[in-house]
Amino acid sequence: MNIDLSEEAAEYGRQAVRAFEAAGGDDLVRQAEREPKRRAALVGPVLDELGALDLDPRGDAAELEAAAALCRAAGYFAVPFPVAERLSRPAGADGLLVVDGARPAAAVAGLDLSWTAVTLDGRRCDAAARAPEGPPRTSAFVTGLDLRPAGAGGECARDLALGLVLPCWTLLGMLDRAIDLTREHVLLREQFGQALARFQGVRFQLTEAEVERSGAEALAKYALWSVQDHRGEAADDALALRLAAVEAADVVFRVAHQLHGAFGFCDEAFLSWLSRYGQPLRRLPLGPAGTRDRLTRSLGRRGLTGPFGEARERAAR
Amino acid sequence: MTGVRGTAHDLAEFRAEVRGWCREHIPADWRRAQTGVPEEEFVAFQKEWFQELRRAGFAVPHWPREWGGGMPVAEQIILYQELAAHDAPRLVLAFVAIHHAAATLLAAGTDEQRRRHLPAILDGEIWAQGFSEPGAGSDLAALSTTARRQDDGYVVNGQKVWASGAAHADWCLLLARTDPGAPKRRGISYFLLDMSTPGIDVRPIRQATGESHFCEIFLDDVVIPRTCLVGRENDGWRVAQETLGAERGMTMLELAERLGNAGFRWLLETCARPGPGGARPVDDALVADRLAGFETELTALRALCRDLVERHDAGTPGPADASVVKLFYSELLQRMTGFGAEIAGPAAHAELRKPLSSGWESGAWALDFIGSWEWTIPGGTSEIQRTIIGERGLGLPREPRGGR
Ligand SMILES: Cc1cc2nc3c(=O)[nH]c(=O)nc-3n(C[C@H](O)[C@H](O)[C@H](O)COP(=O)(O)OP(=O)(O)OC[C@H]3O[C@@H](n4cnc5c(N)ncnc54)[C@H](O)[C@@H]3O)c2cc1C
Repeated sequence: MNIDLSEEAAEYGRQAVRAFEAAGGDDLVRQAEREPKRRAALVGPVLDELGALDLDPRGDAAELEAAAALCRAAGYFAVPFPVAERLSRPAGADGLLVVDGARPAAAVAGLDLSWTAVTLDGRRCDAAARAPEGPPRTSAFVTGLDLRPAGAGGECARDLALGLVLPCWTLLGMLDRAIDLTREHVLLREQFGQALARFQGVRFQLTEAEVERSGAEALAKYALWSVQDHRGEAADDALALRLAAVEAADVVFRVAHQLHGAFGFCDEAFLSWLSRYGQPLRRLPLGPAGTRDRLTRSLGRRGLTGPFGEARERAAR
Repeated sequence: MTGVRGTAHDLAEFRAEVRGWCREHIPADWRRAQTGVPEEEFVAFQKEWFQELRRAGFAVPHWPREWGGGMPVAEQIILYQELAAHDAPRLVLAFVAIHHAAATLLAAGTDEQRRRHLPAILDGEIWAQGFSEPGAGSDLAALSTTARRQDDGYVVNGQKVWASGAAHADWCLLLARTDPGAPKRRGISYFLLDMSTPGIDVRPIRQATGESHFCEIFLDDVVIPRTCLVGRENDGWRVAQETLGAERGMTMLELAERLGNAGFRWLLETCARPGPGGARPVDDALVADRLAGFETELTALRALCRDLVERHDAGTPGPADASVVKLFYSELLQRMTGFGAEIAGPAAHAELRKPLSSGWESGAWALDFIGSWEWTIPGGTSEIQRTIIGERGLGLPREPRGGR
């Protein structure tokens, strides 16, 4: 079992970073906030250029990896568009949203797209986005969804796994960026006559955040492999990844803000945009406690299979 | 509110008096009314509320009697407990004036400065604090705004940042370098800056929470008369150190009481509200467990604050007590608002505005949580507090630091 992304997928991810950068990079989200109606127009051409919508993450293992790499690149710039959700679309819809059936919502305000939603308990629905309640400045493009049952699709478990895993790759890209921004900041910013990076109290916090981030990265690769391999437990692996990713995000963003000082709260700092536009990914469909609860109930006393599960089973026999 | 009370009976009587006052004078619907109001209305409300407190003798209880205060510490504790329990609006705008400005004037100001400003503060004069600079945050002594002697005053040039509420300020506490040649802490002077002086440009900074209470202050050949120097020239660092922490105790006690009263009450209410599936979060054992944990921590925080003000009053404060309290409060605030945001779920994110004049906990959990991240930064970051606790509290050796 090799859970690392293929070299092609990694290269595709690097291309995606360059393409988003060329299209405005950090300015994409700033522009989209000013002109929310234009967000599809801002991002669409980049996705076209990358041939993003020709990827077949459901059917082709290599393209699934490329899709993950693309989501990660989008997260790096807090690209104001549901890239992962578009990529994981089932046949007949423009995108897939995993929702909490009791409070369906997603960051899809103001887009003219048709959505399929799958609830955490595996029901498939058609979803229509309501008009957003507030400006993106405060809503981060989140809006409520009206769901209509769409009959059994048969693929629900797979929808759920894919629909959870790809957005985690977007979040992972955000964590990469939060760490990079913070690292640059503490190297550059001097207080008491030296770079902040020289203070052990600063270094230890940043390393703690990096440990969390890399843990989430390892699980992201594993859960992707589990989807790729059509594992029966892929949905559980996806939920486990989601829990790890949102917990890592709590630590990474707390540390990033703390080490940025007051600067991190003002618009001039990209961290402020990243942490605002990262909120939907961290809270939807469920935040850490809700996710943990789901996972626990789903696993019961069975536990996760995990990368070493089969070996464990063999040893027990 | 005169006469020294001290017996349990007197204190109980005082508490009853304050309660009665709170019931009569706290505007019942201020939270709703102050949500989403324009800035001017917030300012007007703050000023009115200050005068209401003043009429009762509750605005500046910590000041000396001759300036309009003189309330014994035991009574101040009760006052803040009751204001918090009745969810009174917080004095946001007057904060720097009644605490930092007053403490500075009382400790180091001339008689004339006190006569000029203390009564004016009671009449509503608003103050801001212009200490931090782009290059001087935690390392405040590195500040580079200069004040050059000229005629009978000083000419000031430089830039200040993060000055809370400066857009509304009449006056500003200002630190500037008067002797560029001296070691960095010995060349700083403390000034009172009239914000209507020509050459001052105040610009609000857009912030994560969507408000802008931070401001930048640009100072371009601003003239400050010599009468506005506080303490001796080049002795500003010492003055700032003495007065910065002077009010830490009672202001922390007020914040802790607010968190323990209205804050915890909001949290309980949020947890008791049935979710979309009909179940109440509070019926979940894990949620109940977290709530119990918070209640325990709140009790400890309130006890710590009380201890801090009493020891301060008795002249026996520990060298790191204030740091322990600030660190504990700000991290508890983050945990509590984070938990609130989580329990309230996505719905909390639809709440786009919180009542102005509230504390750091308003029940708009998502906004409160984002706001709480700020608390571990000002007035000495959590790292600086930890350093102080290590060095002054535990007597550990100083960290090696360049440039000191
Ligand atoms: C809500 C808010 C209100 C404020 N209001 C005012 C105001 O009214 N007036 C005013 O003058 N200022 C105000 N400030 C500014 C505040 O005083 C500074 O933000 C604070 O001093 C920290 O400075 P900084 O933001 O530049 O962070 P930095 O000093 O750059 O610190 C960045 C990070 O490095 C860490 N660090 C720095 N030095 C060390 C060290 N030696 N060891 C370990 N870690 C270290 C810090 O703890 C922090 O995590 C306010 C700030 C906030 C957030």
